[in-house]
Amino acid sequence: LLWKESWETAKNPMASRGSPLHGPRVKLIEKAQNLFAETKEHVFESKAAEEHAKLLKLQHELEVSTKQPIFVDSSISDTIRTCIVLGNHRAALKVKTEFKVSEKRWYWLKVFALVTIRDWDALEKF
Amino acid sequence: QIPNLQNGPINFTSIRDQSQKELLTILKNIRGKKCLVIDPKLGGSLSLVVQTSLLKEHGAELHHLNSDPIETNCTKVVYLVQTQLHLMKFISSHIHNDTSKGLQREYFLYFVPRRAVACEKLLEEEKVHNLLTIGEFPLYSVPLDEDILSFELDFSYKECVTDGDTTSLWHIAKAIHKLEFSFGLIPNVRAKGKASVRVADMLDRMQAEEPVNSTDMGVPEINTLIILDRELDMVTPMCTQLTYEGLLDELLHINNGAVEIDASIMGANQQDGKKMKVPLNSTDKLFRETRDLNFEVVVQVLRQKATSMKQDYTEMTTTNQTVSELKDFVKKLNSLPEMTRHINLAQHLSTLTSKPSFLGRLDIEHTIVEAESYDICFEHIEEMIYKQEPLVSVLRLLILLSVTNAGLPKRQFDYLRREILHSYGFEHMSTLNNLEKAGLVKKQEGKSNWLTVKRALNLVVEDTDTTNPKDVSYVFSGYAPLSIRLIQHAIRSGWRPLEEILKLLPGTHTESKRSVFANSPSFDILPGGLHMEKPQDGRRSIVLVVFVGGVTFAEISALRFLSSQEGMAYDIIIGTTKIINGNTLTETFMDN
Repeated sequence: LLWKESWETAKNPMASRGSPLHGPRVKLIEKAQNLFAETKEHVFESKAAEEHAKLLKLQHELEVSTKQPIFVDSSISDTIRTCIVLGNHRAALKVKTEFKVSEKRWYWLKVFALVTIRDWDALEKF
Repeated sequence: QIPNLQNGPINFTSIRDQSQKELLTILKNIRGKKCLVIDPKLGGSLSLVVQTSLLKEHGAELHHLNSDPIETNCTKVVYLVQTQLHLMKFISSHIHNDTSKGLQREYFLYFVPRRAVACEKLLEEEKVHNLLTIGEFPLYSVPLDEDILSFELDFSYKECVTDGDTTSLWHIAKAIHKLEFSFGLIPNVRAKGKASVRVADMLDRMQAEEPVNSTDMGVPEINTLIILDRELDMVTPMCTQLTYEGLLDELLHINNGAVEIDASIMGANQQDGKKMKVPLNSTDKLFRETRDLNFEVVVQVLRQKATSMKQDYTEMTTTNQTVSELKDFVKKLNSLPEMTRHINLAQHLSTLTSKPSFLGRLDIEHTIVEAESYDICFEHIEEMIYKQEPLVSVLRLLILLSVTNAGLPKRQFDYLRREILHSYGFEHMSTLNNLEKAGLVKKQEGKSNWLTVKRALNLVVEDTDTTNPKDVSYVFSGYAPLSIRLIQHAIRSGWRPLEEILKLLPGTHTESKRSVFANSPSFDILPGGLHMEKPQDGRRSIVLVVFVGGVTFAEISALRFLSSQEGMAYDIIIGTTKIINGNTLTETFMDN
């Protein structure tokens, strides 16, 4: 029952996607995280919720700093790609370390992103 | 465009006619012009039952149901819907919209196939229930072709395994029971799997409550019913189908017996990206001949036909012909449009299947099914996620890997789930959750018995000859569908010799004989196998195979191949909740 309830809350923010009210969304997800954490079997779900909340906050900051509303609700990989495409390698690296993205995935993402912007020089150096 | 049903082993025309009559009666009883608003989900199945022109003849103006209010001059509005709550909201908003404009209309609401309390409750809450005349249109099964009945239950599998909602099972039993009213009580029933056994039970209960009177029907046309859960064999639908029809479905998606593709592919001159519908059913003679073949062979067959036609043509222009020879030639020319159609389709498929990505996919599927190099498969899926390939394709392989290994080791399971959430977004958490609940992608529990099952049923066949197939494994170029092997055994020798293997697959199994015929000696000799019963009047008996949770075209082809085998005493017809492929089935687990 507890699990179901928490599940609903976790789903809830996703249903209201696109709403500018990030504050309540993040709170809802954090609540879900705590609910998940109360049972032993849902460690994974709890961690995912934690990361999701972190991601939303980070994306929000990125949107403020780049003044481009293109980050919220994209996945972590997409966020990294967008950062590289925009030439913001520092931000990309930050996302990478923040979420412990594996080297392998990081390379794939970087190659794809650099190909998108046809930055052949950077691709060669890398 | 509606398939001709008369040449099948059993005549489904009566089923279609009955549904058509019922629908027209509904329309006739509402006098004058009316606006018929159809649930878009139903549109496809209705088009297989009745031609739109016929509906128009009965004074119906057709609309699709959506949230927009209806623009019509008719004073009578007829809704034809499935029992979906969001559709009820549309309807009530339509009515509210009309009343706010001061429009007075009569509303009729027909549920397909039957009404549901939840829907009517919602209408009551919206205070529109009393404005509606409510009825039912009992459409339980739609003949897709001369040997296929679909119950049109898109979400049956997911509802059963993830949500625990078994309404669809009642629906299936009802559909079969309705079939028995037309073709007689089916004397032998075999079921394997939890859902199937429940369907068989419900069928018995329905027979007890509302018996099919067998005495005035003579010998039942369908001799045996085999019911199988899709859950038994989740490997087959996740593999890419390699028959002509299966491949068409995988790559272009066949919907209600037709594909929709760019007109330019079909040789039309316009380049404006216009779509056209190409019907695909057995009324098309060339398709009837080629649909079940392995695609490699189809290309050869088409090439042969084209060359022979060219030869005929040169002969025709060089020598003098008798009138009868001319006649023959003209007859051959009549098949020209079919030829062009399939050459165009095949050419398009060839460009898609020759891509390295397609071949690579077949390769990895084969490796997973072989189940001998787990690490390679795992890394392949990992890399697909990194490359952010379409999520459906990733999940499809992941299901295949998980099912053949009785789940994934916990560490890898969590790792891949995290990678998926990172790459595709956290909103897919619910998809992963659905798949876990369904047991399709899960933590490893115990040892997998896939290898045992694979070996015992000879699922991977080396040296499969796709041109002159001797075994059903030709449909996947070397893999014989587990589901089909079970049916093969059920028909040949019964399931008793297979007891040990059946135990390894989920769910119980039952074999039962229905009592109505207990006093008729010719039906008393079941035990063991069906092969002992000889069809009395030279006609082959019919086996109805019902798939609870959907069936793929490749499996249908394999069954057709079985019935066409020499020494086979049975014709096989198929009932299914829906025609599926790996993508459509996986998508039912994805929200939105």
